[in-house]
Amino acid sequence: MKQLQTERVGILFWLAVGLVSIYGSTRLGLGALREPGSGFLPFVAGCFISLMAVFLFLHSLLRRREAQDKPSSFWAGVHWHRPVIISLVTFGFVLVLERLGFILAGFFLLVILFKGVEKFSWKKAMIIPTLTLGLTYLLFNVFLKASLPKGIFGF
Amino acid sequence: MDFFGNLIAGFQVALQPTNLMFCFLGVFIGTLIGVLPGIGPVGTMAILLPVTYGIQPTTAIIMLAGIYYGAQYGGSTTSILVNIPGEAASVVTTLDGYQMALQGRAGPALGIAAFGSFIAGTIGVIGLQLLAPPLVAVALRFGPPEYFSLMILGFVVLTYLAQKSMGKALMMAGVGVLLGTIGLDTMTGMPRFTFSIPELLDGVGLAPLAMGLFGISEILLNVEKKIKQELVTTKVRGLFPTLEDWRRSLGAIFRGTGLGFFLGILPGGGAVLSSFVSYAVEKRFAKHPEEFGKGAIEGVAAPEAANNSAAQGAFIPLLTLGIPANVVMAILLGALMIHNITPGPMLVKEHPQLFWGVISSMYMGNVMLLVLNLPLIGLWVQLLRVPYAILFPLILFICLIGAYVINNSTIDVYIMLLCGVVGYLMRKLEYEPAPLVLAYVLTPLLENALRQSLILSGGGFGIFMVRPISAGCLLIAAVLLFSSLLPMIRQKREKIVAEAEEDE
Repeated sequence: MKQLQTERVGILFWLAVGLVSIYGSTRLGLGALREPGSGFLPFVAGCFISLMAVFLFLHSLLRRREAQDKPSSFWAGVHWHRPVIISLVTFGFVLVLERLGFILAGFFLLVILFKGVEKFSWKKAMIIPTLTLGLTYLLFNVFLKASLPKGIFGF
Repeated sequence: MDFFGNLIAGFQVALQPTNLMFCFLGVFIGTLIGVLPGIGPVGTMAILLPVTYGIQPTTAIIMLAGIYYGAQYGGSTTSILVNIPGEAASVVTTLDGYQMALQGRAGPALGIAAFGSFIAGTIGVIGLQLLAPPLVAVALRFGPPEYFSLMILGFVVLTYLAQKSMGKALMMAGVGVLLGTIGLDTMTGMPRFTFSIPELLDGVGLAPLAMGLFGISEILLNVEKKIKQELVTTKVRGLFPTLEDWRRSLGAIFRGTGLGFFLGILPGGGAVLSSFVSYAVEKRFAKHPEEFGKGAIEGVAAPEAANNSAAQGAFIPLLTLGIPANVVMAILLGALMIHNITPGPMLVKEHPQLFWGVISSMYMGNVMLLVLNLPLIGLWVQLLRVPYAILFPLILFICLIGAYVINNSTIDVYIMLLCGVVGYLMRKLEYEPAPLVLAYVLTPLLENALRQSLILSGGGFGIFMVRPISAGCLLIAAVLLFSSLLPMIRQKREKIVAEAEEDE
């Protein structure tokens, strides 16, 4: 997708956010000016976001020439698949965190990142996560007395 | 109580072993993340915000403040030795600092950066201590309309100084306000935009929001490109600048300190802006401006002094008015509110130990930073060898666990991840997250001020115009908004931004 097109999609997304919040805030009740209701400020914010989005969209229509000088896409020349993989792996980690527990889920996440994403040797990909888990456990569980998820295996 | 009385009272708090330890921890972490490219003070403070829940508020703020001003010190090391700014406020230090390192003068460059930072940081704290009490007296006269108008002015100045599009920055402020309204309405008790998720009744947490927008999105942005770290030298010698170096730098340090301090106070100002402005001022008034960019020591001394004094100056609006000047201060405001402390003019009266304790801890912090950044420079140089491929999984993991332990719930982790992905896309599309977070943090105060003002006036917006301070703030905000639309001023603003980007 071309850069300008991507930018317009982004603006339309915020326009949708603005319009949805206007709708939601009217349902909350705007109240009167002498006693504003719960929906008053979200309504003002929604109107403001929508207005700015319309302004930016119109502005983008006037910027065709300028856009031709820019790279064809925001994703040109970068390893865009890496952030996608990392986001998905992290999402998977959160899904299994409470079931597998902090140690197992954390170990799998770090090994995937070090071995799968960063291509470290198996030795490094095992040692660094082990050390990290130990230190994180010490920091959160021992020093800060936070309770970390133990999972079905009880650790 | 006079200046010295306050100072002694503050030191009694700051010198308590726990506070001293957390102050050291803060400046140590600050230097660490300043040195490491790819993570800044905002992301770090957001990551550590949940850690502060279990400690005393004074101790928490001492540590978080230490991270902020500590990062200003550490950032220069990476700029000078690797030509990559450790954090945004050190961008300009790369210009002459790296050139000095190439000429074999890395030692004096690092030395003047540390001494300049120390001098500026100490003067900045004195300025903070002297200016805060009179400003508190002025702030006590502020009512809801003044607060509302001041916050609007803050938003406008912040977006005016936005590096990219001002329109996008304004829109992000609107999104921040919208996010800030999620949860129970404090006045009516009605849930807003909670989508029947009980965890959202308390609103979107500041920590997951800021960790996502600054920590996770930063990681995602950094991993899509390879960060090349090439050290000029691993052995740094001769850290003490020569007499000639001092002669050239001393004026620059004091000018940078003054400029930085006052730019730090301005809403939207702060360390980044002040370092650029001080560099530009030094270059313009230098006897040999042609030496700038080729290893002029003034080009290191001035911006490093400016970013440190700005870091201290930025505390003034937060501690006196309760209004953060930049996004770092917004996180500190959030940290105070988590501990049920409302910053503002009553802070000095209701929590004097926090107010003076935090200020006094900065003296201690500056001394610690000088020790950390001069005799221990070798440690930081070695740290620069750690590749980002090792660092990012560790940062990511700490973010995930940090978000989880806030409420022992995965909802906060999901929110953080969502904010991380949205923040990544926002940055790709040149939407700045700082106005969003600042607006989000200020929304409860803004909404209360707006509602109280409208109730006071019986529903008339005239109340904002008949009170001089309020009218003045709105007038300045309007002038800034309209001036940004004038072609001549807009082009000038865009030129300044473009120059800053070229320097980057």
